[in-house]
Amino acid sequence: MIETPPALAATAGGSLLVLAILLPCAGILLSFALGGRFAERIALGLTPIGLAIALAVSVLVWRSGAPVVTNIAGLPPPLGIALRADGISCVMLVTAALVIAGAALYARASFATPAGVSEARAPLAFWIMLQAIWAALTILFVGGDLFNLYVALELLTFAAVPLVCLAGKPETLVAALRYLLFALFGSVFCLLGAALLYGAYGTLDIVLLAERVRPQPAVWLAAGLMTAGLLAKTALFPLHLWLPPAHAGAPPAASAVLSGLVVKGSFFLTVRLWFSVLPALPGGAAEAALGTLGAAAILFGSVLALRQPRLKLLIAYSTLAQIGYLFLIFPLASGAHPWIADGWGGGIMQTLSHAFAKAAMFMAAGLLAESLGHDRIAEFAGAGRAMPATVFALGLGGLSLMGLPPSGGFAAKWMLLRASVAAGHWVWAVVMLAGGLLAAGYVYRILAPALSDGVVVLKSPPQRSREGVALALALVAVALGFAPQSFFDFLQIGRAAATAALP
Amino acid sequence: MTGALGPLLLAATLVLPLLLLTACLSARWHNEALALQWLAPIPAAAAAILAIAGGPFAFDAPALRLSLRLDLPGALLLAVASLLWIVVGAAVFASPGDRPNGRFAVSWLLTMAGSLGVFIAADLITFYLVYALVSIPAYELIVRDRDPSSKRAGAVYMAFAILGEALLLMAFALLAAGEPSGSLRIEDVVAALSTSPWRDGALALLIAGFGMKMALAPLNGWMPLTYTAAPIPAAAVLSGAAVKAGVIGLIRFLPFAAPLPSWGEALAVIGFVSAFYGVAIGITQQNPKTVLAYSSISQMGVIAAVIGMALASGDADATPQIAFAAANHVLVKGALFLAVGVAAATDFRRDRLTLILMVALALSLAGLPFTGGALAKFAVKDPLGDGLAAGLANASAAGSALLMLHFLARLVRTASRGVEAAAPGLTRLWPAIAIGALFTPWLLYLAVGDPRDAASIAKLWDGLWPIMIGAALALGLQRWGKSLPRIPEGDTVVAAEAAFNASLPISAVFESLDARLRRWPVAGLSLLAIALVLAAMAAYGG
Repeated sequence: MIETPPALAATAGGSLLVLAILLPCAGILLSFALGGRFAERIALGLTPIGLAIALAVSVLVWRSGAPVVTNIAGLPPPLGIALRADGISCVMLVTAALVIAGAALYARASFATPAGVSEARAPLAFWIMLQAIWAALTILFVGGDLFNLYVALELLTFAAVPLVCLAGKPETLVAALRYLLFALFGSVFCLLGAALLYGAYGTLDIVLLAERVRPQPAVWLAAGLMTAGLLAKTALFPLHLWLPPAHAGAPPAASAVLSGLVVKGSFFLTVRLWFSVLPALPGGAAEAALGTLGAAAILFGSVLALRQPRLKLLIAYSTLAQIGYLFLIFPLASGAHPWIADGWGGGIMQTLSHAFAKAAMFMAAGLLAESLGHDRIAEFAGAGRAMPATVFALGLGGLSLMGLPPSGGFAAKWMLLRASVAAGHWVWAVVMLAGGLLAAGYVYRILAPALSDGVVVLKSPPQRSREGVALALALVAVALGFAPQSFFDFLQIGRAAATAALP
Repeated sequence: MTGALGPLLLAATLVLPLLLLTACLSARWHNEALALQWLAPIPAAAAAILAIAGGPFAFDAPALRLSLRLDLPGALLLAVASLLWIVVGAAVFASPGDRPNGRFAVSWLLTMAGSLGVFIAADLITFYLVYALVSIPAYELIVRDRDPSSKRAGAVYMAFAILGEALLLMAFALLAAGEPSGSLRIEDVVAALSTSPWRDGALALLIAGFGMKMALAPLNGWMPLTYTAAPIPAAAVLSGAAVKAGVIGLIRFLPFAAPLPSWGEALAVIGFVSAFYGVAIGITQQNPKTVLAYSSISQMGVIAAVIGMALASGDADATPQIAFAAANHVLVKGALFLAVGVAAATDFRRDRLTLILMVALALSLAGLPFTGGALAKFAVKDPLGDGLAAGLANASAAGSALLMLHFLARLVRTASRGVEAAAPGLTRLWPAIAIGALFTPWLLYLAVGDPRDAASIAKLWDGLWPIMIGAALALGLQRWGKSLPRIPEGDTVVAAEAAFNASLPISAVFESLDARLRRWPVAGLSLLAIALVLAAMAAYGG
């Protein structure tokens, strides 16, 4: 009998990972089977359970200081399929559960099955796709095998695209098609890359690949193809053609999930690829190239956000810019340097705080649009007085985007800045500061008219509960700013092994 | 003797304003919170008195990433700043008739928490947090009138505030990087600064960032716009208390332990240029509030010059003296802004006491004997030395006398218009406030020196002659002032705004680029190119 290497061995509590994936999958099947208004109840009922599982996994990882691992069907890789949850898996699982729960609560008002009918198209699709996104993200965050991850990524795309065109308007259909087509191009690239790796090493398990990968043409090409495919799905500049219309056109609850979570799924996979599969590749040129694209995205997205006359488009372009910050993790957290802990913590913190802040902002924008009947920023005068909680949520989210304390956005920027100073990479620091200034500009563009005096006639007052959801998510983004050092130590769990294994 | 009380008061300095803020947001307690919010700075005042009398103390809450410490320079400023917030807050909020709305109250409390917090923040993160608080929420205080000029002022103010935040964030990152043990305490990072490889970058950013807050030339344009547009109580606390965030910033973050001649002299030059620039532009202004703003630019210039001289000679003991001089300005400038409202409410020319007090307060800024200003001037004598700097300081005192007499003249001319009249209660109380502003510094001075030194006959003459020169110049200004050019308030900011507006079309280029990049063929090619470039980069290594 072949002895299983320690990194591949299953640990206690691994069944929780299986449960985390099964839960939303079961929800989808049940929703299909029962249909109608049950889909809503199932989705709403499962989110607290999912959150509890995510928290339980986090506690296990926290206690043991090592990833939780399970091998499906008891077979270790390369025969079986592994699920692994390390520090960043845990925080992403919790984030996903919270944002999905928030979106579900928020969506009840817009996607309730109307009385008198047993089933309606848009609500059923929404509730099922929401659970499908959740399932896909869960697999992405705990998957230990590139093929598995690829499948999850496809599921994510196919679940996200319908959400874009739920309204059924022609322009949203066009946006959804753009999204679908471009994401499919990305999928082809990812699949090609995965096939190359499998051909070269006979496995797609992350831990095994990391041990076997050597600098050679197949790996280089696979890295280029897979990364490009993932960037297409993340909408990193200049591959963002689909994002603004898709995120701005989707219903607010869907936009919150798309902007807050879905683009983070493919980003997460890019992080896995470069930090867990390919750390054996020498140098840092590719990481610097990713950072450069990120920097360009920050400047480009922010300037365009400054020019948008409509709130939802502004927030969508701001997502473009904020995605750019995420990619600074590649130059600032790779290699074996004293500053990579800051770079890593800052990059992950940016991922989390943007997820909450942006979800809150899209929800607040949705409430504004519903109550005012439009989302033209120039006509927001008086909105602050008419719906203070909504505008407050928008402002708190903006605070995090600007990187002002106290907020997760500030904590992220502070750590990334420290890393870039320590690394002597001034260009990242300058771009981050410029991005902060531009973000302040576009947040000011929203808040200055919203807070100014004016008379608005609300078509309907915003629902307190929906305002509460937006506000709660925005407050989480702010609270992240108070994360203690132990939180950042937690993010390193499972990563120490990867960096220690460096030649 | 401080025991546990001091740290508790430090925590309460930040907690009480935030508690009242929460109460403001709740419907149940809204009115009570508004009526009581002028009491919020009381823990700060108590902490300051305790620290002045009994020495420094600290409070740490690692779970909240909060660390506070109060020493003598901070306590001097905290004492007068909290006093100003209490007095002006009472004037604004204690009268039930014309009480401002909740949003104004929330911004007021946030700005207050920040303004008091900068004097007690002990680490980089805490300082950055309270510094943002004292800068950003003040926007709402400035644009309260919602007319076009206050909106413009608010926008310019925000641009400067955010730019200042960005400069300081970078400076703090450099400071943190220069501290080998990873400590974020201000003392530690500043102690490590002299050997840090990033020393010069950090110093340049610190001076630029805090200089912006103090409106040192040429970054001064926002101040006249802001103080002219803001309601009088807001202008009083902003010019009196909030601006001192820049002063305490320089005091806390510049490394006085070892002489830094070139940096110190550079700061002194900037300071003196601002001191005279403020006077030169100020005498062309017509609105008394604008004149006061230019006087602030001039006064902050002198303070910056003193800080520069102390930095050049490595005079770490000068910081209480500098803080004292700044503290005097807190009180005097606050009372003078309130005077503008009083002048609008009453015919103060008939009220001899008010008139005398206004003259005394105005000339206090020029160092009039027996006022706090004379003490302030005396306090910074040592750091300035006997050379050129001392001469320039005297000349700037003469300039201040000229500018303040111009202010009084403008106040007399414009008073009859009756805009922004102070409430009757404030008008009645103003003489007491003015007397407090004139003589409280004598009490505080006990903490930094012996007031008897400052009151000798020789010092009397030192204080008088610049004022006489200023008075002679003021007569000249009365006679020929009309031929002075009319400079728009905010001077250089007008050019900056024009440059900003001219740069806006650049963003249209981004838009057309976006349209091009988002075409299918371009996006497809980009995807392919990125795949190949990344593959090549992976192969190349680095």
